[in-house]
Amino acid sequence: MKQRQGLIALAFLAPALVCLAVLRIVPAISAVVESFYTESLLRGGRVFAGLGNYTDLLSNKDFRQSIGVTLLFTVLVNPIQVAVSFLLAVLFTQRAAGAKLWRTLVILPIATPPAVSAVIWSVIYRPDGLANGVLERLGLPAQPFLTSPSQVLPSLIVLLSWIGVGYWMLFLIAGIQEVPEEVREAALLDGAGPWRRMVSVVLPLVRRPLAFVLVADTVSNLLVFAPVQILTKGGPNGNSNLLMYDVYSRAYAIGDIHVAQAEVVILVALTLAIVAGQFRLLRGDQ
Amino acid sequence: MKRASLSVLGGVVGILFFLPLLWVVTNSLRPGSETFANLNPLSWQTFLELRPTLTNYSALLNSAIGRATLNSIVVSAATVVIGLAICATAAFGLAAFQFRGRGLVFGIVVLSFLVPFDAIAIPLSTMFRDWHLTNTFAGLVLPGIGNGMAIFLLRQFFLGIPAELVEAARLDGLGWFGVFRWIYLPLSKPALIGAGLMLFLFQWQAYVWPLLIGTDAKHILGPVALSNLQGQNFTDYGLVFAGAVVLTVIPLVVIAGFQRYFVQSVSSTGLK
Repeated sequence: MKQRQGLIALAFLAPALVCLAVLRIVPAISAVVESFYTESLLRGGRVFAGLGNYTDLLSNKDFRQSIGVTLLFTVLVNPIQVAVSFLLAVLFTQRAAGAKLWRTLVILPIATPPAVSAVIWSVIYRPDGLANGVLERLGLPAQPFLTSPSQVLPSLIVLLSWIGVGYWMLFLIAGIQEVPEEVREAALLDGAGPWRRMVSVVLPLVRRPLAFVLVADTVSNLLVFAPVQILTKGGPNGNSNLLMYDVYSRAYAIGDIHVAQAEVVILVALTLAIVAGQFRLLRGDQ
Repeated sequence: MKRASLSVLGGVVGILFFLPLLWVVTNSLRPGSETFANLNPLSWQTFLELRPTLTNYSALLNSAIGRATLNSIVVSAATVVIGLAICATAAFGLAAFQFRGRGLVFGIVVLSFLVPFDAIAIPLSTMFRDWHLTNTFAGLVLPGIGNGMAIFLLRQFFLGIPAELVEAARLDGLGWFGVFRWIYLPLSKPALIGAGLMLFLFQWQAYVWPLLIGTDAKHILGPVALSNLQGQNFTDYGLVFAGAVVLTVIPLVVIAGFQRYFVQSVSSTGLK
């Protein structure tokens, strides 16, 4: 009976399992395998290269810069986005006039596809665009934004936060609303101030959604591609050359698919390492 | 007093987030030649157009972006229909049966959504090239249909359907496909809508994959076409903004229509 059940279950599962295997798992394995091979003109076709592609990458200056830029970007963007999402979630769960409407306005950019957002912000960041228009109105000097080595990452972070903060805020609002009303009221009666209530009462109770947001946000920020490809092409001087874009340009502009596969493997390994580190940290101080 | 200052603060934040979109909508309603005319100095006219014109939108109909938007709709709709069929049957297989290796199969499903799709897009695209799937609708749709997250979401919901209901139906002579079709599906509308939204947004928001696999005029998708237009030297920004509005409003209408389920599926993935 149990065996028959297994066969029927398998029939229902088969299409999805084939899809997941062929479209998710096989390419992941193939990236690992191909990263150990190289194209040889001399011997015609692909030959085993061992760790050759990896040592090539590590000795490549552009790649090392790309790793550095990606790590700097990761360290900056994730704390900023998680903190802003949390503060906004707290703000928009207070009983205040118009809170629902203002919250909706923050969530709205979720609907815009990231590539479309990048196109919009490419016009905003133009020298004669909206951003400089606002600065001039405030009496501030115009800024170069995307063409400045020091401003390019902050500019990308602003654009990515405009896209993402509303989305992550949704998870935290859901978490805060799970906090029982009595708990908040008890803290209020005990005379805890608003800051105290947020840090000692709300924050510990939304640990789980907060941990989820941190990890999921980190993963999505390590895969940022469209804004780099559309706005900066990794420039100026490689200062916004995030790994995902570097993989893409290595595969298609430079045309070295095997080294690009090795870089994909490094990108995924880096992602897993950072996420594992975050899990340890989050568990560590519990 | 405190309430009032909180709503003022909320209002300032909300408006700041909204300004870029408002600017886009306003400029989609005026000729492209005037896009930058109202920026120096900034005034209320920057964000409001008193004599709106729809010329950008009518120009959009016959442009590459119009065609690309249609392609996006076709690809997303196909992904939702095929993807829901595949994911719902798989979730049923995982939820309704006891069998050896169920844990393993479930593990594969979870593993498949832990590997981010964009990271494997480049290796997958070299495979698709070998299989002659570049510049085909099949090539664009396929990666969207097997969604581990959607299977996971549906399975969680299916597990809540009482076993007695299934036993009774089985005794009445209903086959397993009948149980799936006439008991599980009708009871799972919220989860199906949530999973459908997930499949739709995955496809509508995609950029890396359509850039790698479908860039000829017949198969190009909206976001790729829009970013191509932006890269040109003499860009009609009126057209760009009208395209941006259309590509945003379509998912917005879908999300707003199913708002309840969207928030539900978002919060259930976050809390479980």
